[in-house]
Amino acid sequence: MAAEKEQSEPRPGFLARLSAAETVVLALIALIALAGLLLVGKGFYIKAKAEVSQVLLKRTFEAQLHGSPDGKPWPWADFQTAAEISAPRINRSAVVLEGASGEALAFGPAWLTTTPLPGDEGTSVIAAHRDTHFRWLKDVNPGDLLVLTRKDGRRFLFRAGESRVARWDESGINASATGHHLALATCWPFDAIEQGPMRYIVDAELIGEQRPVPLTTSSISK
Amino acid sequence: MFLDDEIASMKTRQSEARWGMYLALAALAACILMFIGLMTQAKAETTSAKPQQMAGYVRPNDIGTGALLFPSKEPGFFVEALRLATDVQIDVNGPIMRTRVTQRFENPSKGWVEGTYVFPLPEDSAVDTLKMQIGDRFIEGQVKPRQAAKEIYEQAKAEGKKAALLEQQRPNIFTNQVANIGPGETIVIQIEYQSAVRQSNGLYSLRFPMVVAPRYNPQPIVQTVDLDSRTGYAVSDPVPDREKIEAPVLDPKENARINPVTLTVNLKAGFPLGEVKSGYHGVDIASLDDLSRRVTLKGDSVPADRDFELTWQAIEGKSPYAGLFRETVGGKTYLLSFVTPPVAASAADTKPVKREVVFVIDNSGSMAGPSMEQAKESLALAISRLKPEDRFNVIRFDDTMSVHFPELVEAMPDKREDAIAYVRGLTADGGTEMLPALEAALRTQGPVQAGALRQVVFLTDGAIGNETQLFDEIQKNRGDARVFTVGIGSAPNSHFMTKAAEYGRGTFTLIGSESEVAARMGELFTKLESPAMTDISASFEGASAGDLTPNPMPDLYRGEPVVLTAELDGTQPQGKLQILGKAGDQPWRVEMDIAKASTGQGIAKLWARRKIDDLEASASTIADPDTLDKRIETVALAHHLVSRVTSLVAVDATPSRPAGENLSETKLPLNLPAGWDFGKVFGEAPVETVPGKVDERDAALESRTKLAMVTADRMLAAPTARAAGLIAEANNQVSLPQTATEADKQILIGLMLLAFALLAGTTFVFWRAPIAAVVLSGVRHRGR
Repeated sequence: MAAEKEQSEPRPGFLARLSAAETVVLALIALIALAGLLLVGKGFYIKAKAEVSQVLLKRTFEAQLHGSPDGKPWPWADFQTAAEISAPRINRSAVVLEGASGEALAFGPAWLTTTPLPGDEGTSVIAAHRDTHFRWLKDVNPGDLLVLTRKDGRRFLFRAGESRVARWDESGINASATGHHLALATCWPFDAIEQGPMRYIVDAELIGEQRPVPLTTSSISK
Repeated sequence: MFLDDEIASMKTRQSEARWGMYLALAALAACILMFIGLMTQAKAETTSAKPQQMAGYVRPNDIGTGALLFPSKEPGFFVEALRLATDVQIDVNGPIMRTRVTQRFENPSKGWVEGTYVFPLPEDSAVDTLKMQIGDRFIEGQVKPRQAAKEIYEQAKAEGKKAALLEQQRPNIFTNQVANIGPGETIVIQIEYQSAVRQSNGLYSLRFPMVVAPRYNPQPIVQTVDLDSRTGYAVSDPVPDREKIEAPVLDPKENARINPVTLTVNLKAGFPLGEVKSGYHGVDIASLDDLSRRVTLKGDSVPADRDFELTWQAIEGKSPYAGLFRETVGGKTYLLSFVTPPVAASAADTKPVKREVVFVIDNSGSMAGPSMEQAKESLALAISRLKPEDRFNVIRFDDTMSVHFPELVEAMPDKREDAIAYVRGLTADGGTEMLPALEAALRTQGPVQAGALRQVVFLTDGAIGNETQLFDEIQKNRGDARVFTVGIGSAPNSHFMTKAAEYGRGTFTLIGSESEVAARMGELFTKLESPAMTDISASFEGASAGDLTPNPMPDLYRGEPVVLTAELDGTQPQGKLQILGKAGDQPWRVEMDIAKASTGQGIAKLWARRKIDDLEASASTIADPDTLDKRIETVALAHHLVSRVTSLVAVDATPSRPAGENLSETKLPLNLPAGWDFGKVFGEAPVETVPGKVDERDAALESRTKLAMVTADRMLAAPTARAAGLIAEANNQVSLPQTATEADKQILIGLMLLAFALLAGTTFVFWRAPIAAVVLSGVRHRGR
């Protein structure tokens, strides 16, 4: 009987039929959902920013290689492109920025300006986020070839050595060591959720410089 | 029935709502619990991730007093050689002090090693002498250009000769590499340096670094088994009772017994002495006459965690406010002069100064992260310190800029809060265009009110490329304003900021970490708030123009004296030294007759050291860095000083040891070369013998032996060339930046929240519809 009555009456608005407590509960649920959405959005925004900026940076770096003096990908950028690093075996590459201060790391791997330029005497250090640009660093095996193109057009070949894990302030990397070295660093453990003090470091040694080859179809097909 | 139903359903609707709420609350609690779980787990992860500190290992940056380091088996770490004895003699002659530190170390290992002796010194010290005794060799350092010295050292090292190389690493850190230290050999190192006595408010003080490097608790957690590569058998552990060895060095008393320190200060103040006291250490003070004292350290009270500090002052009313000293070296006269401006005379002292402060904060992308937080915190602190009669404004810049108030406003509480809220809301983004902000700060803030002090405080990491343009702007448009720079972050552009502050006649404050904000900003506030003696200049009247340092003269803050050194031609210069300045609005002027100067020692070295500082500071005006290096080298070589471009190198001064002779059998004593005084650290019995305390002495000796064994065990028994490489390696480690984004965490938490919302929502909907009906009927049944 009651059901009949309910059906015969016009249905009031869903919210209007809720008691005060129920509205509060519903509002809470909605808020939690919204917060979740925002967080997910923010997380993906960071990743998207990292990916999209690399596209822009690649363009800027190309221009820089062809003699454009300004290495800024967009006018208000607070950093410059410095080099491009690639790992041919796993087919990955990234444009490296100058200086790991502040937000530069959000856009690309950064060459620490306190260390010598890659290819110069000493140990050069390039660091990047483990969950964006250096996600592939764990796939770099000892013996892999690393190709580094500097903005002055010189191209260096490095051979990756052993990787190791160290605290950020006990890296054991000496910028003024004898020889030509390159150290790639990212955070460790790779699948951690929190930011931690440990770093994963791949040491690489210079094996030679590649003469700049004019980019023609034949050189590509080779 | 119908009514019953109605009532029942109403009841249940109420209880239903209550149940819904309970459910929601429970779910919320579960959610919070999950979060807490996540956080604590992460925290536990980070703490456990920190590796155990290496037992007995130190890093060069930990060193607080002179220490001899050997490379260890752990890359990047060192083991500290046992200090058998330390003797310090400080001679104070008026405003100058000369310190001689003699330390005896021991190589406890069974191999030939290269050690690095690291010693921190006060910033203004001029190191000029290095003497060493290794085994049976005596060597004395010669000043050479850095590169040449390095080559000499490397060659001697390769030839197996004993050699030493003393280099300046930073203005206040010196290292001395010692090559070819034989097994079990004792090393005696003696260095001498010159520095100026610090004066402030009529109080004179000296400081000697004594802090013993922190040692980490030597509790090996994993027992390592060394398998011999040829036989495959494990060799027995060389230290059988490794676990029992505790770190005895952290206990000051223990340290005093193992490493006896003797310290003597021969104090000749040059004026009738009043109170003489040591802040942290027990001392015996012997009064020789009115003007001089002899201060010795009490044997058993050497806290290892405090630097030695001695302060003294003149007896009431006899405090000198000016002094002039001279020294003749190489046909030239060197002058040292100090004058304390009359504090009471300045009117500004009685009434607080009115200040007009323009804060400029950099919120460009390079500041993102901790730098921005530090900058915001520092600025908020600075704004909160303003007084209502002060006026202020805040300018922020990245590649754009904005001025917070249209003009300088009075620092009333509401305005201060408004500005602080504005600062706290800033985020770091975009490029760095400093010039417009600087222009705005220097030019558009209206004229300075009468009697007010205009100050521009710049907070930045100085990541800019157009330094010269900025310097120009400061020099041209500064007017009466003072520019203070505050360097933020771990690696700010110190050169730019030091220089900018110098052109702006302000000071440079460096804030390296969050924990330093309060202390460093506090120092800055005292300078900002206390009136300064400004526009100080010195000139010679009737004397040939001399080379004055520092140049330009910095502003003075309350109680600080002007201390200047000068180089004059000729051995008997005549004429007057004139110092001009301004205390508030009042001009101030002092004249001193050069001929009446009393003689002092070491003034030439002090002048040279300051000259080098001035040259270093002028780096931006000299286009060619080689020219600068050459000039510094000339000054340093002429005065036998260690600097950035010159080093002390020493190679065997006595005939070499006969081949095959066992060192441990040719025990000391040895005859010291004439003029060498190794005083109290020479010879045996490093432990003070006190009658009736034999047990203690034995215990001390025993723990020393144990320590020696531990040290030897941890040392890298490697060829010296490899050791040298390791030393170089650990001297400057690269710190790696944070390389994980919050993205994954945020996505994960977001997804969790969404899942929870979905779950809760579904529950809710079900609750409203069929389940509600079921529960309702249940209730109805029970109700009946």
